[in-house]
Amino acid sequence: MTGQAFFVLTALADGPRHGYGIVREVVELSQGRVKLKIGSLYGVLDRLSADGLIEPDREEAHDGRLRRYYRLTAGGRRALAEEADLRAASAHVVRTRLGLTGPEAAGAAG
Amino acid sequence: MSGDLDLEQRYRRALRLLPRYYRDRWEEDMVATFLDGWLTGDPDEDSVTMEYDRPTREEIISVIGLAARLRLGGPGAPRRYFAWGQAVRNAVLGVMLAHAVWGLGQVALFARSRHLIGWLPPPSGGFWPGLSYATGYAWIVVFAALLLVDYRTARVLALLVVGADAATVLHEQLAGMLVSPFANWAYVALIDLAPVLAMAAFHRDAPPPHRRPWLLALPAWYLLVSVPVLWAELSGHAAWVPDVAGQLCLLVSLVCLFQAARIWSGRPGTGVWSLTLLLLAGVTALYRIISLPIFAQDPHLIMVGLVELLILAATAALVAPDAVRSQAATPAPLGYQELR
Repeated sequence: MTGQAFFVLTALADGPRHGYGIVREVVELSQGRVKLKIGSLYGVLDRLSADGLIEPDREEAHDGRLRRYYRLTAGGRRALAEEADLRAASAHVVRTRLGLTGPEAAGAAG
Repeated sequence: MSGDLDLEQRYRRALRLLPRYYRDRWEEDMVATFLDGWLTGDPDEDSVTMEYDRPTREEIISVIGLAARLRLGGPGAPRRYFAWGQAVRNAVLGVMLAHAVWGLGQVALFARSRHLIGWLPPPSGGFWPGLSYATGYAWIVVFAALLLVDYRTARVLALLVVGADAATVLHEQLAGMLVSPFANWAYVALIDLAPVLAMAAFHRDAPPPHRRPWLLALPAWYLLVSVPVLWAELSGHAAWVPDVAGQLCLLVSLVCLFQAARIWSGRPGTGVWSLTLLLLAGVTALYRIISLPIFAQDPHLIMVGLVELLILAATAALVAPDAVRSQAATPAPLGYQELR
């Protein structure tokens, strides 16, 4: 799973969002590191939709235009949880190799 | 109003780069999301924004990137776009193979001149010959990187090589060493730069190339084509050796004939390769036409060049109908229709 797809799925984890809502949420989740352009966002949404990880939720009128909301599917929730576990396990290995885990590291950090 | 278009219309114009099937599904949503990022809800401010602002360069680049990925699709794309994607990827690999064969020739010549067998020392003999050797080696690495699915390395290195080739042509032009500078620039544009730009077809949705046949093609081409050409040049028969454009014309024609035999024998799944050969024939023909002024002083060689063109056109015509059919006949990946 790409970093962009991971952030998009995470942005939808706590409820449906429309396109621009996802863009803003991803900026916040990534602390400004990931700023999705519209072409990139819809490339990701199209792929996640084709893989059955997200689906349309509803459409709402806003300033004369329709905003389409997306939500995670059960498969998307499962895939996101698996990816989060994988990334956490990888991060743990890195921190261990760097000697950044355990009480000594915590003491050194403090 | 600037250009009589407002912000929304300018963005919609950029979205026309995307295939129709994709726009039918996503365009309205993309426009709504795009405008959400610009409009504040203040009518006066929004009116000025709509009238005078333009989509940013980054937004346009993201649309171009998406369009390239969709139009040169991988498994999961509609048949037509998958066929084009595969054909462009094959054509790029074909040109990179040609570059790698040339690079292999550079390696062999260098090794021969240094009486070396095995590891090569760094090239010497001045900056420009050294650069020529370096670009030869680099093309081999670019070809290998594509086969190893390291597309980023391939693109970056290939762009550096194109820059080096362009610098070499400029140097030779300024030194008055070129008979027809236009032909050399055509080579840089058509045979160097265009395939590197077409590497956009190697995106994350693209299936990895089949390594084995491409890796076998490298020594096969070198031994069956480059070595005889080299032998002819070194044994005083250089007049019989066509120039680079002529060699490419004859080689693509030969492969077209082979492909035509495959089509006539009823082999299934030939379409993508026919489309690939049509692309290669188009680029080669263009290069042959542009490089003809090299022979401006020799009408006989102009005639030879035209005959090469004729042979190329005739053999390409043999595979053209199959190439056209390929856009409908390439098997659709399983499950695609259900998803769209």
